[in-house]
Amino acid sequence: MLEMRSVRVVRGGFAVLRDIDLSLESGRTTLLVGRNGAGKTTTLRAIMGLLPIEAGELAYDGADLRRMRAHARAALGIGYAPEDRRLIPEFTVEDNLLLPSLALRLSAKQARERLRMIYDLLPELPALRARLGGHLSGGQGKIVALGRALMVGTRLVLLDEPFQGLAPALAHSYAETLARVRAERRDLTLLVTESGPQLLEALVDVKLQIERGRIDSLAPARSDAAESAP
Amino acid sequence: MSIVLPLLVDGLAEAALIFFVAVGLTLVFSVLRILNVAHGSFYSIGAYVAVLLGTWVIGRGYAPALTFLSMLLAAALVAVVLGPAIERSFVRWTYGRPEAVQILVTFALFLIFEDLQKLAFGVQPYSQDAPMQLLGVSSIAGVVYLNYSIALIVLAVAVAAGLRLLLARTRFGKLVTAVVADREVAQTLGINTERVFVSAFTLGVFLAALGGALASATSGVAPGLGAEAIVLGFAVAAIGGLGQIEGALLAAVIVGISRVVAIYFMPELQPVAPYLVMLTVLLVRPFGLFGSPAMRRL
Ligand SMILES: Nc1ncnc2c1ncn2[C@@H]1O[C@H](COP(=O)(O)OP(=O)(O)OP(=O)(O)O)[C@@H](O)[C@H]1O
Ligand SMILES: [Mg+2]
Repeated sequence: MLEMRSVRVVRGGFAVLRDIDLSLESGRTTLLVGRNGAGKTTTLRAIMGLLPIEAGELAYDGADLRRMRAHARAALGIGYAPEDRRLIPEFTVEDNLLLPSLALRLSAKQARERLRMIYDLLPELPALRARLGGHLSGGQGKIVALGRALMVGTRLVLLDEPFQGLAPALAHSYAETLARVRAERRDLTLLVTESGPQLLEALVDVKLQIERGRIDSLAPARSDAAESAP
Repeated sequence: MSIVLPLLVDGLAEAALIFFVAVGLTLVFSVLRILNVAHGSFYSIGAYVAVLLGTWVIGRGYAPALTFLSMLLAAALVAVVLGPAIERSFVRWTYGRPEAVQILVTFALFLIFEDLQKLAFGVQPYSQDAPMQLLGVSSIAGVVYLNYSIALIVLAVAVAAGLRLLLARTRFGKLVTAVVADREVAQTLGINTERVFVSAFTLGVFLAALGGALASATSGVAPGLGAEAIVLGFAVAAIGGLGQIEGALLAAVIVGISRVVAIYFMPELQPVAPYLVMLTVLLVRPFGLFGSPAMRRL
């Protein structure tokens, strides 16, 4: 559903991404691993239209994403959770979650349905709904950021280092949450970056390695990726 | 004592007018992250347009009360005509460029506007005080006030409260809040930030032009009005803390009162009183009364 061809991104006069090829298949979970500074965040930001693509192609269901402004991706069902959670601190958790429906002018009914779906998927959230975005712990914030990305990303969700900064126990429960999301939303396409990928092994279909701005190796994480069932 | 009260009303009425400039400046600063020197021009252009419209209304023999409507219309006209056009051309070009460039570009724009106004209106003052005359005076405890001054004060407070409500309760307000807090995340959530920029800028223009239009009923409109507005507006925005609505309101009151106090005790200090206050506040609180270096909210 998403295709990157020979994508090149230059930051500060330096080609941070050189010749990136990436292809995401519908309903699959793709893991992008790489050392610090390899270009994982830059790849996701390029997909989201947050920085200019120097050369190459970026297509989503055949449509040219390079010609769309960043905000247009939300309407296409592409959600993104950045490395740091970046919630709106003066909004409540619920208002943070509802912000995309407001921006996309969803009807009140549609917005409520999406919210209900997120609350069902992430049962940690209802208890936090009235808390301010700025008053959450790191782990709570991560779950809210995941929920917000899922509010937008009805078809494709990009998660940048979701485990970063989480204590081992929290990281573990976050991985379980992600596995539950995966199991209940089989149609959803996921692209997750991680420098320490162990926690995700079980749900990853495709694993890619990025190194110095190039995707070097692509090895299927599991041979039975396509027909695996939980 | 009997002199202090009318002076206070005068000071607060003046504060109200400065507030209209400062709050727009602060709004535009928060949302677009630019310091717009040309903001003062919208004040003076609003004043000129209001005088022209008001004089036309009176000249045609329409009900003088319509001049209140024509002041509002003048501000709306200036906002709709100039807001989007200026934001989409000059101002947009400065996004992401160094502050010095932004200030130079908007200062150049200010100078162009000044010359255009001189070309169009000459240097003689224009005035149209029908709205002020209409409201008349009232006297409380033997002291006479202009009702128009009281109306200005009430209106400024109403505008501050209205902006607060707009930000907290409406879709537009929530989108603005999100853009102020985190532009990039706002975009990934589907917010068209460019549209928010245009709307916020236009709202800022409207507020400045409204201030000018309201001011035009109290004094003659002549070259120099825009310069005074931007300098005072900036002083007030800085005292309040850039980006702070309530800060701007409180700072406008402080500046207005400081001028009154100066007039009463040391008239020769009156022109510099606002800047003395600004210096004092910024020495103690460099980011203004309500501001802080890390703050990203209105
Ligand atoms: N604005 C910039 N100017 C110059 N270089 C940049 C800029 N942004 C990123 N880089 C460089 O691009 C490279 C890739 O950065 P990126 O953030 O994509 O890495 P990453 O794989 O996400 O790393 P991490 O695991 O630390 O998050 C790094 O070498 C970084 O220094
Ligand atoms: Mg990164």
